[in-house]
Amino acid sequence: MRSSIVFFLICAVIGAVVFGIARLIDNDYLFFAGYVVLQYIVLATAWNILGGYTGYVNFGSAAFFALGAYASVFLYKIYPPLPIPALILIGAVISGIVGLGMGYLTLRLRGAFFAIATLALAVVLQTLITNWTYLGGARGAYVIRPIDVPLIGPYMQYLCLLMLGLVVIALTVARSIERSRLGLGFAAIRDDELAAEASGVPTLKLKLIATTISGAIMGMAGAPFPYYLGYVQPQSAFAFDYAVNSIAMPMIGGTTSWVGPLIGAILLGSLQQVANVTPLAQVNLLIVGLLIVDCVIIAPNGILGLVQRRRTARPFAADPAVFALLFAVNVIPIYFLHELELSQRTLEVIFWAILIFLAFARGRLVGHPWLVALPIAAAVLGVVPGPSWLWLVAAFALTVALVLGLALRPGAPEPLAQGKAR
Amino acid sequence: MTALLTIENLGKRFGGFIALDGIGLTVNTGERVGLIGPNGSGKSTLVNCISGTLANETGTVHFDGAPMNGLTAHQRTRAGLARSFQLPRPFATLTVAENLQVPLLYTVNARAGTHLSAAEIDARCAELLVLVGLADKAGEHPRDLTQVEMRKLELARALAADPKLLIADEAMAGLSHSEVVDIVALLIRLNERGITIILIEHIMRAVMKFSQRLIVLVSGKKIADGMPDAVIRDPAVERAYIGQ
Amino acid sequence: MGQGGVVEFSYDLVVNALIAGLLLGAFYAAVTVGVSISFGMLDIVNIAHPAFVILGSYIAYIASRLTGIDPILASIVMLPAFYALGALVYQVYYASFERYGQEALRGLAFFFGLLFVTEVSLVLLFGVDYRYVEAAYIGPNLCSTEIGKFAVIQAVCSLGIDMPLRMLVPALVALALFAALQLFLSGTFLGRAIMAVAQDQLALRLMAASPTRIKRIAFAISIATASIAGALLIVIQPVEPSIGREYIGRVFAICVLGGLGSLTGTLIGALLLGIVESFTATFYGPSWAPAVAFGFLLLTLAVRPAGLFGR
Repeated sequence: MRSSIVFFLICAVIGAVVFGIARLIDNDYLFFAGYVVLQYIVLATAWNILGGYTGYVNFGSAAFFALGAYASVFLYKIYPPLPIPALILIGAVISGIVGLGMGYLTLRLRGAFFAIATLALAVVLQTLITNWTYLGGARGAYVIRPIDVPLIGPYMQYLCLLMLGLVVIALTVARSIERSRLGLGFAAIRDDELAAEASGVPTLKLKLIATTISGAIMGMAGAPFPYYLGYVQPQSAFAFDYAVNSIAMPMIGGTTSWVGPLIGAILLGSLQQVANVTPLAQVNLLIVGLLIVDCVIIAPNGILGLVQRRRTARPFAADPAVFALLFAVNVIPIYFLHELELSQRTLEVIFWAILIFLAFARGRLVGHPWLVALPIAAAVLGVVPGPSWLWLVAAFALTVALVLGLALRPGAPEPLAQGKAR
Repeated sequence: MTALLTIENLGKRFGGFIALDGIGLTVNTGERVGLIGPNGSGKSTLVNCISGTLANETGTVHFDGAPMNGLTAHQRTRAGLARSFQLPRPFATLTVAENLQVPLLYTVNARAGTHLSAAEIDARCAELLVLVGLADKAGEHPRDLTQVEMRKLELARALAADPKLLIADEAMAGLSHSEVVDIVALLIRLNERGITIILIEHIMRAVMKFSQRLIVLVSGKKIADGMPDAVIRDPAVERAYIGQ
Repeated sequence: MGQGGVVEFSYDLVVNALIAGLLLGAFYAAVTVGVSISFGMLDIVNIAHPAFVILGSYIAYIASRLTGIDPILASIVMLPAFYALGALVYQVYYASFERYGQEALRGLAFFFGLLFVTEVSLVLLFGVDYRYVEAAYIGPNLCSTEIGKFAVIQAVCSLGIDMPLRMLVPALVALALFAALQLFLSGTFLGRAIMAVAQDQLALRLMAASPTRIKRIAFAISIATASIAGALLIVIQPVEPSIGREYIGRVFAICVLGGLGSLTGTLIGALLLGIVESFTATFYGPSWAPAVAFGFLLLTLAVRPAGLFGR
């Protein structure tokens, strides 16, 4: 308990410092974009409590987020001057209750059914709200917000401060759960629910707790949303981005600890703000999707797992189908990004790096480590500005790398260190 | 002799397949009961129904005087009924010691009137690990254990729940002769300390040494229940094993 | 008479909604059958299946535009390609997740990633405009065609029941697909092996058949059905990449309603859903349609998770 309070204070101090620095830089866009990243930290942390700690995947993060947002809209229509902190609390309660209800309906079934049900919930709620004209329906609702706030200044900075507060709360909650008896119970459920139940863990009760807490925090993140733009419509509140990112960020960062979603949200969130500059907003979503596929196969424990060297001895490049799919999957964004102006192609670097790593892993496995030279050459040719036939040569080099990677077979099978046999 | 576990007319089916057919048996407090039967006879299904992992369709289970029908597995474990799994099911992301902390925190600490401090929990963990011979593996993860060590962990985890009745489901598969002897001795010691034990095994010498009473299950039916020496010589039992 | 007019008006509406619902339901069954196999029998939560269906739609679209070939025929020609794709995807899934028992979270995430990688790739390639195909049976209604001259059909038409061929043909193809699959599963050794692997993998090993190989074949078949379902989709309505998402809920709602592992259950569940959706759209407006499937799903999960014909 005491370490949680200390952690909370440390986070609060760091948050205040970050806010102070941002004020000094005094760039409006920084706050505008920063709000989104902070929002994602909260969402990713909330998702991870149910997904990473307990092992139940939630595809409907947007539902809980939007509930918080629309609860604010509803209350605004009834009684405009409610302060946002109050809205946050109410959003938390409403989303928490819905999470509880949803959990009660579906958590006695397998995890797969729960995941699909969360998707269903998001669509049902979106349909309901789109048809509810009092809340604006499909055309959306407007919220009038002040331009300045006493003591702090511009309204956007106030929102950011609030969101920073939510980040501190979310991280503290996640960390205290992780280190508590509750967290141990969650981990037991994640690892083997049947054995957990047999060990005395009240699995249904704990899962309901996880769903409620997770939903409540997501609702908190959603409550200030209408005030961000002064306008909200179902399309934006229920955007697929929320579902995708709240899964991608913890997975890429690492699901077993509160640090993972933080890292993932900061990295991926910032990346997406950069990518938003490109004319193709879809590329954003494509990149996230590909990173999920890459991450799930190559680095199942995320960045944290790589750092802690917790990767199991399984060589992911051993199966030719995996190599082929990953190769193809990472070539796709390079193809699409290539069409853009050079200055906007910074994201290409990530996928070139993955391709090179792939070829390296595969080459090493089949005993021909020089294989990695091909994508490196292709990367150089592809990135350097010049006549378009350079790009063709690069493509050719990539194709050769793929074919060779598939054609060359590994030598003696590697012994998998999966528990020593008797 | 008070009855600790009473099963009456227990039935379980999977679709059209009848796994358990009208099973009735009693286990008295302090007894050592062996349960044997050919593969597929329903032993594990019986264990699952007793422990609450599966729900029986017909019949009743009474434990320690209280009806168990309708109670979830964790409620039964808290009531004092623990089981180990035939195929070890450790918590893979937790260390060996943490694996034992789960039942200690969620079963022992959850019982009214018990509250173990963190130090006491650590002490019990260490004690249990020494008991099964895993003391030097406390900080390891299950994936680094051998099959045999995982079975010992499985047993330790069931014991961590401080049960009145322990059902050990093939805890000795794959162990060497001396290890089997050790585990049998351990179980007999635990029994002398007051734990009623049902041992499900294929290793006949262990079963014969251990059991005060022997029950035989074949194709979901109980075909024998009595003194081990008599049961072994029962023609129906012989037929069941040889006739398979 | 006023009263008679009102009764006849709504009778007509009801019957047409019913017929439309049945035709729609049959089509939904074709889209769902792939998931019946992968989720119902193999326990693989392939939520990316609708994306493969949309992929099938676009391929049928290209083939039809380039060569003028009938879209449904084109999809049949493409079956081997989709089969190969399915085998590849299963191989990756097996090598990365199933073998290590980690399928729960990571497998779901994998298919989730595939789902919108496919969707977004299609958007980048084709844009968000609706695409449609042309064929002889897109346009006319049954009663006004050559076949409509048969006595039986005329009798039906005289009752005021008419149906657009662009709904009827896909429904018939869907039923044919079902019949073919049912025959395959119950009549051939391979088919029975697939049914067996759904229930008891150990028994299969003892029969010296490799469960992995059988599962790969089954999964590949499930993706192959997406090819045909995609062609049927683009016949019924114009297609754009994000349509796939509406179908995730429909498909799983039908699977759960019908009961996992039962092909008949899938068909009946699909017909039921089609009818309810049709009635909802007719009497309450189409904007409520997406909620129907998902509402069904939540209801079924809450009340009878084993479905109508479940194991």
